[in-house]
Formats: sequence, C-alpha cells, structure tokens
Amino acid sequence: MTRSWTDLDDFQNFIDGGGIVEAVDDMPDDYRAEVFRFIEFHANSELMGGLTERDWIPRAPGVRLKQIFLAKTQDEIGHAHLLYQVAADMGFKDRTQMLEELFDGRSRFHNVFHYQAVTWADQIAIAYLVDAAAFASQRAVFAECTYGPYKRVLKRIISEEGFHMRHGEEMLLRLTEGTETQREMFQAALDRWWWPAVHLFGPDSDPNDPLLRWKIKSQPNEQLRHAYIQKYVPLLQSYGFRIPDDNLHYDDTFDGGKGAWLTSDIDWEPLKATMRQGGPDSRRRISNAAANYADTAWVREALQRTGAAA
Amino acid sequence: MIELSTAAKDVILAFADDEHMIGSRHANWIGLGPFLEEDLAFCSIAQDELGHALALYDLIVPSSEIDRFALLRDPSQYRSCTLAELECATWDLALVRHWLYDTAEELRWKNLLQSTVPGLADLAAQALRDEAFHTSHAEMFMTRMHRDESARLKVEAALAVLLPAAGSVWSPTDTEAEAVAEGVIAASSETLSQQWVDTVTTDLERFGLAGNTGVTLGDRTIRSQGFESFHTSLGEVISLDTAAIW
Repeated sequence: MTRSWTDLDDFQNFIDGGGIVEAVDDMPDDYRAEVFRFIEFHANSELMGGLTERDWIPRAPGVRLKQIFLAKTQDEIGHAHLLYQVAADMGFKDRTQMLEELFDGRSRFHNVFHYQAVTWADQIAIAYLVDAAAFASQRAVFAECTYGPYKRVLKRIISEEGFHMRHGEEMLLRLTEGTETQREMFQAALDRWWWPAVHLFGPDSDPNDPLLRWKIKSQPNEQLRHAYIQKYVPLLQSYGFRIPDDNLHYDDTFDGGKGAWLTSDIDWEPLKATMRQGGPDSRRRISNAAANYADTAWVREALQRTGAAA
Repeated sequence: MIELSTAAKDVILAFADDEHMIGSRHANWIGLGPFLEEDLAFCSIAQDELGHALALYDLIVPSSEIDRFALLRDPSQYRSCTLAELECATWDLALVRHWLYDTAEELRWKNLLQSTVPGLADLAAQALRDEAFHTSHAEMFMTRMHRDESARLKVEAALAVLLPAAGSVWSPTDTEAEAVAEGVIAASSETLSQQWVDTVTTDLERFGLAGNTGVTLGDRTIRSQGFESFHTSLGEVISLDTAAIW
C-alpha cells in the first residue's frame, strides 16, 4: 500500500517515530532525491573499489590468495549490483544511465578509489584501512536507516564487509610478522593510504544535514572519523608502524579527561580534488573503465537485440 | 603426500597447469565483464578453475610449496597448453576460449572418474559439478551470440583465431601410454580429442557458426607467445621475497 504524508513535518514525525519508507511510498521529493544520491554514490564506490582492487589480483603472490582476492572483489561488484537495483527502483535513473554517467566522469564515488594501488602492500592497506572505514560508515547507516530497501541490502553488505575487514586484519598480520621487505612495503603503503582513509569519513557534518535528520546517517562524520582514529592509531603502532602525521599525539585531557588520539588539522583539499575527478588516479581509473565499457558494448547490444536483458 | 608414478604425476601436472593458467587468465577479467551479472559469473568460473588447480597441485607438491611451485618455476618446466595460456584480451576471444576449453575440461574430468590415483576420482566428481555450470554458461552465451549478426561475426572471427590453438588442450604427456596402462586415465588424449571434435562440430552446426575443428596438437614443453610476460606478472610479488609468507 502506498503511503503519503501531508507535509515535511508529518514525514519527519513518521521518521522520528521509527518509520521505514518503502519504494512504493509517495515520499517527499527531497527525501527521494537525497537518498537516491547517497545510494548511487555508494553503488559507484563499490564498483570503482572493485576496479581499484583488481589491478593487483593477477599478481597475487599465491594461487589461494588469488582466489580469495577474486572472491572479495566479486563481493564488491555484487554489492554494486544490488545497490544499483535499489537506486534504479527510486525512479530517477536506470542502471545503464548511472553507469554511463560514472564512466563519463559525471558521477561521484569514494575518494579512496581515486588513488592507485602502487604495490601489493597497498592491496593490504585497502583491505585493512579502507574496508574498515567503509564498514564503520555503512554500519552507521544501517543502524537507523529509514529507507527499507537500502537497509535490507545493507544487512547483507555489512555482513560481507565485516568478513573483508577480518581478512584485511589477517593479511596485515602476515606482513607484520613477515620479513623486513614486507614490513617496509606496508609502511610505505600506510604512508600513502592513511590520510585517504581518514578522509573517507568526510569533513564535519553540517548540523542541518538532511541525511542525519532523515536518519539515513545515524552519526555525524566527525564522530565516525574520531572513533576510527582511536581504534587504528594504537593498533598500527602496536604492530610497529608509524602513522604519517608528525603532530599526532595523545591528549589526556580530551573530553574531560577521557583522553584521545588527536591528529594534525586535516587538509581536505585532496578529498575535494577527488570529488572533482581530480584525484591522483581518477583520470586513468575512469578512462580505463569507460574504454572497457565501450569495448564490451557489442555484447550488451546483441543481448538486447535478441531479447535478453543485460 | 602419496607416492605416485611418473606417468600419474605428468598427467596431473599438465591438467593442474592448464587449470592454473586458464583460471588466472579468466581472473584478469574481474571488473571488466560486459555487464555486472556476467562479471560475477565469469569471476566464479575463474575461482573454480583456480580451485581445481590447487587440488591437483596438492596431489603432486607439498602443500607449503604449492605457491612457489605454481608461480616461480622456470617457464620450460610448465606443462600447460597454448589454449589455456593465451591472453584473450577481448571478450569475444575470452568467451570462445571459455567455451572451447570447458567443453574439453569436462571430458578430461570424466576421464578421471575411475582413476587409480587415490583421491583423484573424488576430485573429478566434485569438479564435474562445477563444470556443469561452466559449460552451461558458455553454451548459453554462444547460443545467444549467434542469433545476432554483428555478434556472430565477432564470435566467428574469434573462432578463426582460437580453433587452430584449441587442439593443444589434447597434447598428450610424454608418458601418457603408461598413464592409460596404470589406470590413471581411462582413455588416451587422442580418443578424447575425437569426442571433443564431435561435440564442438555438432554445437557449431547447431549455433550456425562457421569454424574448422580439426585438432592440431601442440607440445606441452614449449610455451606460447606471450607466456613470458604473463609468467613474470604472476610471480611479480612472490619473487620480491621468496622466503616470505604472503
């Protein structure tokens, strides 16, 4: 049954009362647009994340490892598949439009996937740092998510991302307990990926962020980022790695004596550059994806002409 | 690890290297499939083939040595066939190779269902369950592509490139006669190759596709063009520190 609301206040009361919106509901236009934008961004990020991770799969240092990283990347592409469906059902764009805009450089995706994995250790840094950051963000969305189709898909995604996070921890421990070559490789990767991972949470949330008001997000960006730093600084230091932040320090007096790890003032310019498709690897990543999409167009077209949807 | 005859080891190594090469070549398509559902399907096939390779290597190499054995041998020590080694950098080539290889692979696993090598018959039965999906997937695609004129031309061009190399999958090991005599395999490669030619010819006629299906055997001791750079990339990370556990 389609539900509707008299005005935004009526809708807000529904949300504040724990209501869940379904695709068939006559939801406010602003809610539909904001939620669609958020899910499309998430879908794009899963797909481009898979493309970031694929670069090193052919060179995986073991047959079993190759299988594992294939399965992980397959999960990410599977997440994109599910999310594009949820987004398409909102009625703004179909999947083809979303993909074409993405490959045309007109659509956004997470900052971290505008960077190149330079060595195998970057693959591990992505699995350890980026998957953990994404997991924390997604879990915070799942916690109160008011859009039913997204919440249901997130349940599965979070379960798989939790597994990826554990996999990242296991892979990091191998390097940590490994040879000097491996430890040096990971330190160099950490130097490259620490700040992008911190940036992933975004700048401090606007107190009027409609996604917080409508309970798509359950926590502001700064809270999630702070919690991530508190967890990963001591972990990485305990493994003997150096966080690439000369001003990083522990402040005993923070928050009335609770104490916290505090970083340098965060330079958000690299994040902003990625949102303009101007990240270090944006051009290559998008143009490669676009070229491949064009190269395989004949398959999609043939299936359409012969009556099978693609 | 059980003691095996040279003939048994040769058969298993050739099949394991084929599975490793085809799985790794298929793996290079992750994220690049023509649409998301196909990306997921082809990636599953790649994982299955790599799993078959691991299970076969495990019969002839100590478990702790498999990665170094699989990735760091001198190219002259590999026994994979040309069809499995080829790059297939476009989807038409990847699809046609997938169909030709899996049609052969299914016959090869069936040929091991009564093998006297401990564990191999069970592995074959398990692998055949995977192959039912692989062959069905390949055939579904070939069937749909031939219905469209421009796709049919692409597939036929890919067949023209790959069919001359496809028979390489039936290149026998040097000790194949002993392997048949010992019951490692039920039938010779030559016998299986005739079954394969019959199947492929019948299917091509059914699809309305043109292609010469004669078998030209290769030599498993000679690596194909492009193998060297592929082999270098496979071993790029593990060779950074061969003593390390990655």
